[in-house]
Amino acid sequence: MIAALLKVTDLTVVHDGDGGERTLLDAVSLDLAPGEVLGLVGESGSGKSLLCRSLVRLLPSSRLRISGGSITLSGRELTTAPEAEMLAVRGGEIGMIFQNPSSHLDPVMRIGDQITEGIRFHQRLDAKAARAAAVDILAQVGFPDPARQYDSYPHEFSGGMRQRAMIGAALSSNPRILIADEPTTALDVTIQAQILRLLMDIRARRGLSVILVTHDLGIVAQVCDRIAVMWQGRLVEIGEKRGLLAAPAHAYTRSLIASHPSLPEEDMPAKAEKLRAPGAVPVVDIEKLHVRFATGGLFRRGAVDAVNGVTLRVMPGETVGIVGESGSGKSTLARAVLGLTPVSSGTIRFDGTDIASGRAVLGMLRRQTAMVFQDPYNALNPHLTVGKMLAEVLRVQGKIETAQIPARCGELLDLVGLGRAFLDRKPRSMSGGQCQRAGIARALAVDPKLIIADECVAALDVTIQAQIVELFRELVERMSLTLIFIAHDLAIVRNLCQRVVVMHRGVIVEEGRSEEVFSRPKHAYTAALIAAVPHIDPDKPLLAPSKMATPYADGVAN
Amino acid sequence: MHRYKFVLYRPLQFLPVLFGISVITFILVRLIPGDPARVLLGTRATPEAIARVRAQYGLDEPMLAQYFYFLRNLADGEMGRSILYKIDVLKLIATRIEPTLTLVLCSVVLSVLIAVPVAAIAARNQGRLADQVIRIVSTFGIGFPPFWLGLMLIILFSVELAILPVSGYGNTLSEKLAHLVLPSLTVSLSLSTVLARSLRAAMVEGLKSDVATAARARGMPESIVFWRHVLPNSLVPTVNLLAVNIGWLLGGTVVVETVFALPGMGQLLVRAIFSRDYMVVQGLAMVFACATVLINFLADIVTVALDPRVKL
Repeated sequence: MIAALLKVTDLTVVHDGDGGERTLLDAVSLDLAPGEVLGLVGESGSGKSLLCRSLVRLLPSSRLRISGGSITLSGRELTTAPEAEMLAVRGGEIGMIFQNPSSHLDPVMRIGDQITEGIRFHQRLDAKAARAAAVDILAQVGFPDPARQYDSYPHEFSGGMRQRAMIGAALSSNPRILIADEPTTALDVTIQAQILRLLMDIRARRGLSVILVTHDLGIVAQVCDRIAVMWQGRLVEIGEKRGLLAAPAHAYTRSLIASHPSLPEEDMPAKAEKLRAPGAVPVVDIEKLHVRFATGGLFRRGAVDAVNGVTLRVMPGETVGIVGESGSGKSTLARAVLGLTPVSSGTIRFDGTDIASGRAVLGMLRRQTAMVFQDPYNALNPHLTVGKMLAEVLRVQGKIETAQIPARCGELLDLVGLGRAFLDRKPRSMSGGQCQRAGIARALAVDPKLIIADECVAALDVTIQAQIVELFRELVERMSLTLIFIAHDLAIVRNLCQRVVVMHRGVIVEEGRSEEVFSRPKHAYTAALIAAVPHIDPDKPLLAPSKMATPYADGVAN
Repeated sequence: MHRYKFVLYRPLQFLPVLFGISVITFILVRLIPGDPARVLLGTRATPEAIARVRAQYGLDEPMLAQYFYFLRNLADGEMGRSILYKIDVLKLIATRIEPTLTLVLCSVVLSVLIAVPVAAIAARNQGRLADQVIRIVSTFGIGFPPFWLGLMLIILFSVELAILPVSGYGNTLSEKLAHLVLPSLTVSLSLSTVLARSLRAAMVEGLKSDVATAARARGMPESIVFWRHVLPNSLVPTVNLLAVNIGWLLGGTVVVETVFALPGMGQLLVRAIFSRDYMVVQGLAMVFACATVLINFLADIVTVALDPRVKL
C-alpha cells in the first residue's frame, strides 16, 4: 500500500459551551492516499463539514477546539503546527471548495483577482506573471474566454461558472489535496455532471487527492474510490466503494442506501391509475400560458418569458411532477396557478373557473389550494406553536366549527405522522423533516383540492427526503389529493408521480406517464437530464464522455 | 461603462425635487410669525414707513405672485435681495459657503479617518477589552450634544492649553485651518461614532462570512482577509449612512458655527431667521437642499464604484 498523504488519527473536536464540553467529532480516523478520491457521506450535523474544517484548522467558531488526536500531512503534524505554517498549508497544500460559490466568492472583487491573490501570496509571483498564471487556471477550469473573463465579477456568471471559478481559486497555489464540501449541491444535475467531470479531469491531470463531501450516494458511487460514512460525529464505516455499497456494515449506511432514490432502468410495473369519471372537470386547466417579466430599468427595457406558452391539464386525483433546471419556469408556473404572479397571456382555469375573472375567484382559489415550500423552517412562523398555526388556518378557512378545531389539529398531526405531542412545539425545537411535516399539515388544514409542493424536499437529508416522499404517497392514496410536485430531483419525481412534465426555458419539452418518459425519453433535453443523474451503481458510469449534455452546457449569464 | 449611465439622466430627476423644495420653503418661511419690515425698521417705525418697505420688497403682493417672482428670479440666477444685508442673496451666500464647505469636508474626512481604524480594531477584537472600550466610548459620543462637546474642547485646547484659537475664522489658509480644527473635531466626534458602529457591525458580519472563510482556506493571512475582503464589502452600507449624515450635518453646522463663531451658512441662517430675512432663508434652504441632493448623488456614484452588482 502507498504511504498515506494525509493521516487522521482519533481526531476529536469539542465545543466549550456554557453547559460544559460537547463532543462534535469523536475520535475520527482516516487516511488519504496520493491521487485517491475519498467520499465523505452523512446527514447534516453528522460532522462531515466540521471534519474538513478541522483538517486545515479553520474551525467555524472560537468555542470549538481540537481536543485530541492528530492530523499528519506527509509526516508533518498539523494539530500543533504554528499558525504561520498553517497559512502555507491552507491553499498551498490543501485547497478547499464549498457548497455555495455565490456566497464564497467575493462579490466586489474580479474573478481573476481572487485567483491571483493566492498565487501572489503563496508563490510570490509579480503581478504580470500571476495574471498570466490565473488566466491559465481559468482556461483549465473551463472558462471559454479566460483573458477577458478574468476581469468579470462573480455575479456576471451562472452558478456553474462560479463553482468553476472557486475551483480555480482553490487550485491557484497547486495544492496536493482538494477538499470539496458539497460542491454540486446547489447546482442543476446537468451542471453537476459537468463540475464532477471537471474535478475528475483535474485530479487526473494534477494527481490530486480529493475528499469529496456529499449527501448524494450516487455521486460517491460514481466518482470516489473509497467511502467514509459519518454519523453523529463518528466515522462509522470506511471502505472501498463497491464493497461498502454492496455490504454496508452500519445501520445508518444501510438506511442511506435504501433511501437513495435511484432511477430504475427497467420498466417498473405501472402505478395503479385511478379510474376517472368520464367528462370530469380538470382541477387545473392551463392554456397557452405566458408569464413575462420586465427586465432593465426605466431607459432600457427588456422582457424575459419565464413561462412561454404552456398548456397543461391536471385531473382530479392526479399526481403530476414538474421537473427542470433552475430558470426553467417551473416555480413561476406554480405561482401563476395560485394567482401569485400576473399572467401575460393565456388562461388558467381552476375547477372550471377562470382565475382571472375577479377577486372572488382568487379568494376561492386560496381556500381550495395550498402550497408546501422549499425551506420548511422559514416557511413556518417562529412565534407560533404548531397547534396555534393550524388552528389559525382552520379559523380563517371557516370550514369547520370552532369547537371542533382542536380535535381537527390533532387529526392533522396524526395524518402527517407527527403525533399530538407536537401541538405545543415551536419550529425552533423541531428538525427540518418535522418542520416539513408541519408544513404539510398546514397545507392539509385548508382541505385543499390541490396541493402544490415546490422543491419541498430539496433542503432535507436523503433519509428524511425518503420519509417525506413516502408521506406524500400515503396522503395521495388515502385522501385522493391532487398534487403538483415540483422538483429538480428526477428520481424522486419518478418514484412519486404518475405523470411528469419536463420544462426547459419556459416551455414544456416533454410530458407523459413517468415510466414512459424516464425509460424512453423522446426529447434530447430529457435524455440529457436523465443521463446526468449519478447512479448509485458504480458500474453505470456517469462520467463516460457524453455528448448529450453539451447542447445545454451552462454558459456565461448575459 | 453602462453602469454609470445614471450619472447622465439622474440629474433630470433633481428638477421636480428642487421644485418641491422651493414650494415648501417658500410657504414655511412665510408661516413664521413676524413681519420683516417691522424687524428691519425697529419697533418705533411709522405704519407708512413699514408699508413703503413692504412695497419695496414686494411683500404686499399676494403669495402666489411672490412665489412667481421668486421662481422668475431663480431662473435668472437671482434669489432676491437680503432685507438685512441689502445685497443680492446669492452673493451673500457665496461669501459664506467657504467656511461651511471646508468645515463639512474636514469633518467628514476626519470622521472617516477615525471611524475606519476604530471599527477595524473593535471588529477584529470582537468581545475583547478593546471592543468593549470602543463601544462604551462611542455610546458616550452619540450621547453628548455637539454644543457641549464644542465648549469642552474650547475650554481644554483654547483656554487651558492655549494651543488653538477660541473662535472665529482667519484670512490665510493656515489661520483658517487652525480655526477649523476644533469645530471639525466637535462634529466628527459624534459623526465618527455613528459611522464606526455601522462599520463595526458590517465588519463583524464580514469576518464571519463565507467570503472570509474561503479566503482563509486559500491560506490568506488575517490582515489580507480583513483589508482586502472584509473592508471593501463593509463600506457599501456605510457610504449610504454617511450620505444621510452629511445631510444632517449641514443642518448641524448651525449649532457648531454659532458656538465657534464661524462666519458660515449656518450662522447666516440663524441671523436670517431671527430677522425674518425671507429671501436669505429661502436662498439658504435651496442651497442646503441642492447640497443634500448632490451628496446623495455622489454617494450613489461611490456605491456603484464600490459594488459591481449595483445597477442604478
